[in-house]
Amino acid sequence: MTRTRIVATVLVILALTLSLGMPAFSQGKSLTLSMLAGYKEDVLRANLPEFEKKTGIKVVVDAAPFGDLYKKQLLSLSTGGGRYDVLFMDEPWVPPFSEFLLPLTERMKTLDVADFIPTTVASGAFQGTQYAIPVDPNVQLLVYRKDLFEAKGLKPPATWDELLAAAKALHDPAKEKYGIAVTASSDIQTALYMLLAQWSYGAELVEGGRGSLNSAAGRKGGEVFLELLKFTPPNVRSYNFADVNKAIQLGQAAMAIQWASGAKPMEDKTKSTVAGKLGYTRVPKAVRQTPMRGVWTIAIAKNSANQDAAWQFATWLSGKEFGQFAVTYPSATSAIHSPRVSVLKDPSTRAALPYAEALLDSLQITKERPRLREYADIQENLRVTTGKLTAGELTLDAALKEIDAGTNRILGK
Amino acid sequence: MAIGSAGRWFLLPGLVFLFAIDLIPLVYSAWISLYNWWLIRPRDIRFVGLANYLRLGHDPEFIRAVVVTTLFTSGAVVVEFLIGLGLALLFAQPFRFLRRLRVLILLPLFVVPVVGATMWRVIFHPEVGVLNYYLNALGLGRPPWLSDPTLALVSITLVDAWRTIPFMFLVIYAGLEVLPGELFEAAAVDGASGWQSFRYITVPLLTYIMLLAVLIRAMDAFREFDIIFVLTGGGPGTATQTVQILNYRAFGLGHMGEANAIGLVTLGLVALMCWALMRVILRPRPAGG
Amino acid sequence: MRPSRLRTVLTALAMLPVLAWTLFPIYWITTASFKTELALYARPPQWLFTPILDNYTRVLTNIPFMQYLKNSLVIAIGTTLGSLVLGTLAGYGFARFRFRFSEAVRFLVLVMRMAPRMVLVVPYYLMMQRLGLLDTYTGLVLAYVSFALPFSIWLLIGFFVDVPIDVEEAALIDGCSPLGVLVRIVIPIAAPGLVVAAIFAFLVSWNEFLFALILSGVEAKTLPVVIAGLNTDVGPLYGEMSAAAVMVMLPNIVMTVALQRYLVKGLTLGAVKG
Repeated sequence: MTRTRIVATVLVILALTLSLGMPAFSQGKSLTLSMLAGYKEDVLRANLPEFEKKTGIKVVVDAAPFGDLYKKQLLSLSTGGGRYDVLFMDEPWVPPFSEFLLPLTERMKTLDVADFIPTTVASGAFQGTQYAIPVDPNVQLLVYRKDLFEAKGLKPPATWDELLAAAKALHDPAKEKYGIAVTASSDIQTALYMLLAQWSYGAELVEGGRGSLNSAAGRKGGEVFLELLKFTPPNVRSYNFADVNKAIQLGQAAMAIQWASGAKPMEDKTKSTVAGKLGYTRVPKAVRQTPMRGVWTIAIAKNSANQDAAWQFATWLSGKEFGQFAVTYPSATSAIHSPRVSVLKDPSTRAALPYAEALLDSLQITKERPRLREYADIQENLRVTTGKLTAGELTLDAALKEIDAGTNRILGK
Repeated sequence: MAIGSAGRWFLLPGLVFLFAIDLIPLVYSAWISLYNWWLIRPRDIRFVGLANYLRLGHDPEFIRAVVVTTLFTSGAVVVEFLIGLGLALLFAQPFRFLRRLRVLILLPLFVVPVVGATMWRVIFHPEVGVLNYYLNALGLGRPPWLSDPTLALVSITLVDAWRTIPFMFLVIYAGLEVLPGELFEAAAVDGASGWQSFRYITVPLLTYIMLLAVLIRAMDAFREFDIIFVLTGGGPGTATQTVQILNYRAFGLGHMGEANAIGLVTLGLVALMCWALMRVILRPRPAGG
Repeated sequence: MRPSRLRTVLTALAMLPVLAWTLFPIYWITTASFKTELALYARPPQWLFTPILDNYTRVLTNIPFMQYLKNSLVIAIGTTLGSLVLGTLAGYGFARFRFRFSEAVRFLVLVMRMAPRMVLVVPYYLMMQRLGLLDTYTGLVLAYVSFALPFSIWLLIGFFVDVPIDVEEAALIDGCSPLGVLVRIVIPIAAPGLVVAAIFAFLVSWNEFLFALILSGVEAKTLPVVIAGLNTDVGPLYGEMSAAAVMVMLPNIVMTVALQRYLVKGLTLGAVKG
């Protein structure tokens, strides 16, 4: 190839590349949505044409992976770029993002609020103002093998003591059968398991603006959690959310505490050997019963140029029609659980999701994580310290002290 | 000097590009590290001078991360260099079947790191993973690859090596290919053995390439993130928590000042490491014959 | 001088464990793309089995995979070309032109590669935002060239310095321009170096995730972001991830096979021998 031809080719390719960089300009009403990539995105995209046909609003979906959605939204909202009109966000993000979001308290009144599970509405509120509408509620459940329990004549446990007893009874490492699957790694789930136990005994992560996990109740909850690790698969110190699911799916664990979102994969025959054999109930209680709540919500950016269109979208996304579509959508992975009582009670929902009854039941009594701007930092400190605890780098007392010290430092105390 | 002062025109496009697109942002991020900028409170940005850096110096978690990162980097680079060099030497031989195998050796480089690490997690799974299945069958039990602190460090080194040995191989191999064949022929005529050829011809001529490969790898291993994050997330506990993971955590929480300070310290450490390596091993190369 | 029988055998033997270790995960990923998740974790492990195509169909229908493939391809080619052009020029400049602070500038080029890329996220984001280059091909190509360029320059310096200078000087005396010397004489001799630089730049762009995530979203979304999206909130979708990874590997393999023949020695095109 002669030199001239090489240069010419290079220039042409470069020109093509650069010219393709021109952003397309939009016509008509259009919204940009920051969405969670994966099955939730799939369900949304499947039903989006309905919305666009009904309202004439085009929705551009910018989906980011689960581990990165928060920082993408944070960067965009904080630098005021105006990239997103509507944002699909996890409830702990609502307090820190609140100053960038459009208050929806007034508009909220036009929705059929009575049909929402009451606790889910609170997930979008902060300091008395509503900033987000619930779309996809999630809650911790106790999953158990009905067949194994029946074989041993056991009832599903209601208290933590009963849970420990049942786990012990069903624990048979020689046969690779373990009592219960949880995580004990430096993954966030580990901290949330321990927190669940501690909440059950009456402890609080933050009380009166100070870290308060280092209490008698906190210690008791921590001890119970550590006790539970005796009846788990041997390598839970490397487990994450997916591994807990695997332990159930492959028939290794007789029980698990898991978020409801993990249930559908457990019932998937291409992934699970125990589909149809599982029972779902509330997480165990002690002094109180406190399944942890996690609701995905939809919020509107304060500087959006299309606030009315955005509200229409938020209404639709949290509405009954989309909710019914979402719970019965045959997505391969998991479901968007509607926050509407009418949807979760519907027979077709019950048919599609075997755990729908337990989901609705537990959602009535959930406990929320502290609604603070600094919560992400507090949770991060909780995560790392709990990870050190289960790895043996800290004793329980030292860990509890360190958690509280971190919380206080973060809250500026 | 062959091209004389026309050389500056060759340098200009690349350097201007780098300084505009690379250096200025770097300076900006150094500037950010002198502030207390939390993305959640964008109107509450305060100048704090070197406070972010001083805090790091007193933070035991940071110091531990530096230790972990150094251990990982040294282990990874040594393993990758030795195996990469060995592979390159093997492949430099004039066998036809090697030509076909060359692409195969490079395959790990083509796998997106996240997928590679995820699949290694599947392979490493202590109970149902394929590796432990065969180890157990051979009577070696089921090592807890990702839940034992020491083994976790070994595991991440293994996976990193798996991924980047092809890179070392590629760079050194290309260097070998450019060596003038006449030198080796002349040496063989003079009765030099394979080992002597290697020691007195290959090594000196290849030093630059080998050093570059080691330097780049060391720099990259020090900043490695994806593989470690997917495999262990920094755990168990803080056993594999590297400086990059700390950086990621600060960045993920929106603490820009802190995150950039960690980044700049990393840059400092890496620069120091490179400078030391270069001073010790390499003498400046003359331009021209 | 033909290598002995023994050396052939020893070479082959030495290759086996390395090949096994290198290729096993690739094999596992490839087979995983044709298995259900249950089959992936089957015990005893399934080496031979009946393949299913569900993972591939799901990946290709659920997401506009071809669109993202095109994005990745365009950006990667742009990055490779940009790095090669700028890198070759600068590499030659450093190799043949000494000026007062050339050592320091060279080291500075390398230093710019030493910062964790994370610290550049906010500056790049703000810069692209201001230039209106968010979510465009150009923005990502600019970022990726800046990542790939330092190594390309350093690598090519090494290869250019090794070219016998008398050949270049002879050409200059014959009336060839410096650029002509670079293109017609030096590049062919140093071709393996350029191949490595090209492959490297392509890979930097092809596999890069963080900046693709932050700087793109809809129009310029690339494959690594798509693949990361398969790591859902309920765990990784092993089958789909593997299928996507296999499809993502293929262009790299094609490119490398195409460039392979330049990776061998002896590309001197009638150079004058002193």
